[in-house]
Amino acid sequence: MIAYAVRVIAKALVTFLAIVTLVFFFTRITGNPIDYVIGQGITQEDRALLMTYFGLDQPLWLQYLRFLRAFVDGEFGLSFVERRPVTEIVADRLWPSLQLLGSGLALTLLLSIPLGIVAAIERKSWIGNAVMSFAFIGYAIPNFVLATFLILIFAYWLNWLPVVGNGTALHFIMPTITLSGVMIAALTRFTRNAMLDVLGQDYMRTARAKGLSERQGLFKHGLRNASITILSVIGLQVAGLAASGNVVVEAIFAWPGIGDLLVRSAIQRDYPVLQFGVIAVSVAVLTVNALVDIAYAYADPRIRLARA
Amino acid sequence: MTRLLATTALAALMAGSAFAVELKVGAANVTTYLDPGRDHSNVGSQFYYNSFDVLVEKNYDTLETEWRPGLATEWKLVEPTVMELKLRQGVKFHNGDAMTADDVVFSLNRMYQADFPPYQVRARDRLANFEKAEKVDEQTIRITAKKEEPLWETLLNLQQVMIVPMKYTMSLAGDPNALEHDDFEAFSLKPVGTGPYKVAELAPGERLVWERFDDFWGDKAPLERVTVTQIPETASRITALKTGEVDLITNVAPDQLTLIEQDPKLKAVGSATALFHVMIMNVNHPTLKDPRIRQAMSLAVDRDTLNEALWFGKAIVPSTHTMQEYGPLYMPDLVTFEYNPEKAKELLKEAGYNGEEIVYTSFPTYYTNGLLAAQAIVDMWKAVGINGKVEVNDKWTGGAPEMMARNWSNPMYFADPFGSFGVMWAPGGPSQSEGRFNTDEAYAESWERFRFSKDIEARKAAYAELMDRIKADPPLLPLYRPYESWAMSTNIDWAPKKGHIPYVLDFRAGSITFATN
Amino acid sequence: MADAAFDPLASARPGASGRVAGARAMWREANAIQKAAFVVAVLLLAAAALAPLIAPHDPVAQTLIARLRPPVGFERFKEGHLLGTDELGRDVLSRVLWGLRLTLALAFAGAIIGLLLGGVLGLLSGMAGGVTDDLVMGAVDAQIAIPFTLVALLILAVFGSSLQVMVIVLGLYGWEQYARIVRGEVRKLMRMPFVEAAVAAGASRPRIAFRHLLPNIVSPLVVQFTLSLSNIVLQESTLSFLGMGVQPPTATLGSMVGIGRDYMPTAPWIVIFPALAILLLTFAVQILGDWLRDRADVRLRSR
Repeated sequence: MIAYAVRVIAKALVTFLAIVTLVFFFTRITGNPIDYVIGQGITQEDRALLMTYFGLDQPLWLQYLRFLRAFVDGEFGLSFVERRPVTEIVADRLWPSLQLLGSGLALTLLLSIPLGIVAAIERKSWIGNAVMSFAFIGYAIPNFVLATFLILIFAYWLNWLPVVGNGTALHFIMPTITLSGVMIAALTRFTRNAMLDVLGQDYMRTARAKGLSERQGLFKHGLRNASITILSVIGLQVAGLAASGNVVVEAIFAWPGIGDLLVRSAIQRDYPVLQFGVIAVSVAVLTVNALVDIAYAYADPRIRLARA
Repeated sequence: MTRLLATTALAALMAGSAFAVELKVGAANVTTYLDPGRDHSNVGSQFYYNSFDVLVEKNYDTLETEWRPGLATEWKLVEPTVMELKLRQGVKFHNGDAMTADDVVFSLNRMYQADFPPYQVRARDRLANFEKAEKVDEQTIRITAKKEEPLWETLLNLQQVMIVPMKYTMSLAGDPNALEHDDFEAFSLKPVGTGPYKVAELAPGERLVWERFDDFWGDKAPLERVTVTQIPETASRITALKTGEVDLITNVAPDQLTLIEQDPKLKAVGSATALFHVMIMNVNHPTLKDPRIRQAMSLAVDRDTLNEALWFGKAIVPSTHTMQEYGPLYMPDLVTFEYNPEKAKELLKEAGYNGEEIVYTSFPTYYTNGLLAAQAIVDMWKAVGINGKVEVNDKWTGGAPEMMARNWSNPMYFADPFGSFGVMWAPGGPSQSEGRFNTDEAYAESWERFRFSKDIEARKAAYAELMDRIKADPPLLPLYRPYESWAMSTNIDWAPKKGHIPYVLDFRAGSITFATN
Repeated sequence: MADAAFDPLASARPGASGRVAGARAMWREANAIQKAAFVVAVLLLAAAALAPLIAPHDPVAQTLIARLRPPVGFERFKEGHLLGTDELGRDVLSRVLWGLRLTLALAFAGAIIGLLLGGVLGLLSGMAGGVTDDLVMGAVDAQIAIPFTLVALLILAVFGSSLQVMVIVLGLYGWEQYARIVRGEVRKLMRMPFVEAAVAAGASRPRIAFRHLLPNIVSPLVVQFTLSLSNIVLQESTLSFLGMGVQPPTATLGSMVGIGRDYMPTAPWIVIFPALAILLLTFAVQILGDWLRDRADVRLRSR
């Protein structure tokens, strides 16, 4: 078990290094910050001056070495755009994103697991169809359209909810709904399908033969077995969302989160922010992934054996 | 406990009354740093005037230039190239330090003799004629120019030479008694000036909070506290205004103005901003080398229709690169740019244009209506036979040799043709240096006369020569002065002032009234 | 879970004649929603295919003096523009039809690229195990850990924005999901007696892959394919929202919604019609996907 865990962690480390290296070189070959923010309407010699000042005129490998050294001395540098340490900027942005992710996830779990179970049990009746239709609609609306509709109804017309920022609990309502729309759709569907998969298994037939009703069987065996699938889907969704931080939601509700920061710094080629942001996000995602892997192995010894 | 709560509630109530007026602003963009010397962006220019002062002030209520004492109470030329200024006494910085002659000399020389690259870049295009500032005594300083300067006051009124504290700046990083580049970097997040509002909080790109500075030397600020929050999405910004989350918003596009007009609790104010949206054309691109092709690209654009359709006729379409703000140098009779599709077709034929594709690059959202105008222009090109294509790109491509045409803006950095055309299209200036505009000796000679002649008529004549050159071999077409709008609840009385550079959010005494109800 | 004693091949692959009968049976057993979804999908496909014939106007032809005109039945309606005009006076109906055409093409091309890429990698990873598995899963983890918008942005910055590049960008969206699913299923199947038996009998790897593995992972793949079709449509609109979508004046449903969103309160028809088309499209695709899944799932059918 410990050997397996070490292996998983080592793998995550290699992946992590690959990610930061790729991001480092790719962002640099596609342009530099002078071309995006500071450079409008300055002369070529002034451009060269700024390149030198920001250290962008140094050979790429030297910049890369300096970047690697940051892992040792913790000096990840100043943003080109906001003249402050990137560690500070990213830390500021991470918390609001995590808060939103947390509330979105809570709403998702609360709704989609019961809905998925209902949809599985009632798959042949109109209830099941209605549940699935509801789930599909969550998938079918671009989230910024959903957000705009919510704003129009609850803020613009009814004036019930605030639109901007993350100050109070009320501020969470619309961003949370927008964010979880897709997650709910996905998870409801996966839950339903996982439950149906379980329904077809032999031990369910056995259970039925033993006189357990389908419902009892579902709850007894189904939920437990489906939970592995559900867990992995949640892991994926969380990882994906933590990574993209949901740029759209953050832009529309002026939510000071990490997704908005990453996209903006990528567009502006604000390398230090982008690099550190990617580091922070990938550490989070890879950690979640590794934990899920290890938890799996713990739950299912065959994986451990198969991979060792 | 209950009593404590009650008292707190009462205090909170009082705080909300007329004693402490708080204004909330929703801005499309909040700056990521505040350093008046380093910045010349349209985003930044919103914020400096409330917190910083210049030596020579101006009456911003009128278009006519009327200089007023600022941090200098009087000024006179003591030699043809030397200006002597008497400093206002009893001025305090936001951190409590008294303003001294040393602070003023420091502020000026950090630009005039810049060795911090971001300052060098800013100083070069507009402050190149200034050699140094020196302290004469505690109340007097002298500024030396290299050549006789016709625009003394104008160039002392610039945002870039706003006064900042020396000791405070030095103390920010590294050695507290020495000036290092890191001091300037740190200043841009902890800015301190002498203006009526101090910066209480700056969350870069998110939020800026001003508080009234009680020791301000002039009329006290009318607002206790101003919070500017960045709300990038237009619909969110307008909704936040409607719900009362904010009291005033910036950047309402013309197409959205009806939403404000329909609501009796809201109103909008706007003006044709002192800035041109321009189309630039690369004179050195192989396809566009023949000036007739660029003339045709320009003649094909029906700017009045663009104005009618996209701006409801509220933008201003110029006949030449000129603005009313220039006062005596305003030259509306000069015709450098016009619409003439027939002539465009002829010129294309003469030049032997064979339908080569001409790409028009546009920022996706940076300029209001920018992408719409780009598509409309390419459509107008099509009407005269130009095979155009729109390309959307976040990148500034003005320095790329393969750039053919793209959108840009020429803001008025100060009220003189030198402050707009002069900054962008000087010999050796950014446009030439980026390789998309050429000048020769004759152009440079005209430019020198335009820049340094003391006689206004001579300057005008020289400027007209420059415009003729632009017409004959066009590197740009100014499209219009965009009509920018701000919206607010009806209990606020605020409007952009005519005398300011574009986008300034002026909340000083006399600029805003806010009736709390 | 490992004690499945059935042979999935027995019922999963009906013969040619059986297929027609199967289709008829499928239609008979379908419920109203599924039938409706089928009809909607056919109609949308037809509209997309016939766009050049049925669109009343050139989708990029501008009339600057007739911008933002509302659909038929409203004040200021302009004759000939049934669904109104957009922010440059272009015909919304024509743009929706042409946009639907391009959106469908992009979505299918992207989803197929993702399916092939992810499917092949997942299969390799699941069958080979060891270093191959580590490499592929490392790439999957990396893809998950880097925001997709960032990947899209960098690719577009390197290769420029054209339809071809856009297809590839969209194809990369979601490949890791296919890879994970396929790998997971393959690993599960590899432990099943009938595969173990085939391996023991000396069957070649391709034979195992195509004969024993693929037929059994069709069902989750179909579901994932439908998911990724709609994901791609939405992702493309998100890229447009961020200003990185298809280049104007070309329209996709996503770009109409993404660029038009500012007009939602003032000229909602610019957004609502393409949004409605997206909704119908993804809705129909997913209902059909689920239907297929339920049908293909032999374990459920056998009861």
